[in-house]
Amino acid sequence: MEPEISNQSLLFLIVFVFIPLSLSYFYQLGLSKNILWSSVRGTIQLFAIGYLLTYLFDLRASIGIPLMISIMITVATFHARLKGKELPHVFWYILVGLLVIEISVLSMWLLFDMVEFTPSEVIPMSGMVIGNSMVAMGLALERMKNEFKENNGRLLAALSLGAKPKTASKLIVQKTLNAALIPNVDQLKTIGLVQLPGMMTGLILGGVEPVMAIKYQLVISLSIFSSVSLSAMFITLAMYRYFFNAQDQLLETEEEIRTQS
Amino acid sequence: MFQFKDVSYGPLKDLTFSINKKEKVMLFGPSGAGKSTLLFLFNRLHSPSSGSIYLDEKEIADFEVTDLRKRVGLVLQDPNLFPGTVLDNIKYGPSIFGEWDEREAEKLLQYVQLPTSYIDRDVEQLSGGEKQRVSLARTLANSPEVLLLDEPTSALDYRTAEEIEECLENLIEEHNLTMIMVTHNLQQASRLGERGLFIVDGQLVEDGRILEMLEKPKSNELARFIEE
Repeated sequence: MEPEISNQSLLFLIVFVFIPLSLSYFYQLGLSKNILWSSVRGTIQLFAIGYLLTYLFDLRASIGIPLMISIMITVATFHARLKGKELPHVFWYILVGLLVIEISVLSMWLLFDMVEFTPSEVIPMSGMVIGNSMVAMGLALERMKNEFKENNGRLLAALSLGAKPKTASKLIVQKTLNAALIPNVDQLKTIGLVQLPGMMTGLILGGVEPVMAIKYQLVISLSIFSSVSLSAMFITLAMYRYFFNAQDQLLETEEEIRTQS
Repeated sequence: MFQFKDVSYGPLKDLTFSINKKEKVMLFGPSGAGKSTLLFLFNRLHSPSSGSIYLDEKEIADFEVTDLRKRVGLVLQDPNLFPGTVLDNIKYGPSIFGEWDEREAEKLLQYVQLPTSYIDRDVEQLSGGEKQRVSLARTLANSPEVLLLDEPTSALDYRTAEEIEECLENLIEEHNLTMIMVTHNLQQASRLGERGLFIVDGQLVEDGRILEMLEKPKSNELARFIEE
């Protein structure tokens, strides 16, 4: 039997919004507007995507899948670029990075018969890969900017000792990649022990045998793990050089980075 | 050795002066005058927006930047050591140029008056003064001809600052270095320097023998600065 939640039951979810809203009110956190807006926005987005997916699942796979993946990658690119908007060409690097990662992962799935080329399988799984890669790229960009700011003196010292930007930034790149990868390693270590992952939970709720659900979860978890690693590495290695100019000088302000030739 | 011709950059305006080999020059002036900015022009951490800088009659823009930075070493106010051991830091520069010789390590530590047993010590375990000595040794490891110093003792307590000063004096004599140092401390300027460049609002207001400048300031700005 497929699980069903009635619309009346859904209405009671308001209680879950009311709790953080009350906390924000009592502790004067100033988050009320944000909580309300994100709850309403999230609900609308989910319903919209539900109807869109129903429509896409009815389309031919060769049309529905590329169409939805293109939309997801474009939205993800616009979102991730906000974390590094002062960096030249960041939009295109993210777009190409997400595209290459998604095509590689999808090819692996299809080549080794892990997933069927149907919208109902490819779209949700691709969504998870693209979403996680987007977050990884955004975090890597943000972390890298902070590291460049915090390590300004060390970078100047390294350049002054004759290091090229690549050598001078080695520490920054290491720290950025560490920060991007460690949460994923930790998550993978505790998978199934601390929390049942989303996809597996969904499949079990949908009536799929737990062992089969685990197989799907393994496919998606490891796919996410590798795409997150690749995303963080790609965007960090592609962007660090924009913190320097052609004369191997460190660009210290957002204005200098934005306007570099 | 160095020649600045009508150099402007950031707060600096039309600076023209020269520095001779083995001179000990102190750049001093009020905060925000552009002293550190000026210092960073010597090793091309900044490039002038107009005007030219020459090193041994060759425009520094024409040098391979890594070679220039090897010849013109810089020590910053904060030691900014790299994570790892004292040795990791000392060999950083020479390793870039493929010139590292393990036998140099002990000699470099002796130059900066640190025990040779410190070589494998994690830099996190060092005191502020020790860190600054390692920073000095790290710069010296590249065998520079010019030593740029950006207020290297201002973050240290009085006693440690005095020790570093003494160490600096010896190093400069022993290695025949040209020294260009930014300081806001006039006593330090008179102890370590021979020549002073007094800078206010990016302009060179006075240039002369440091002791004479401090005893008989020619400009109102310098007289006021000494009084403050």
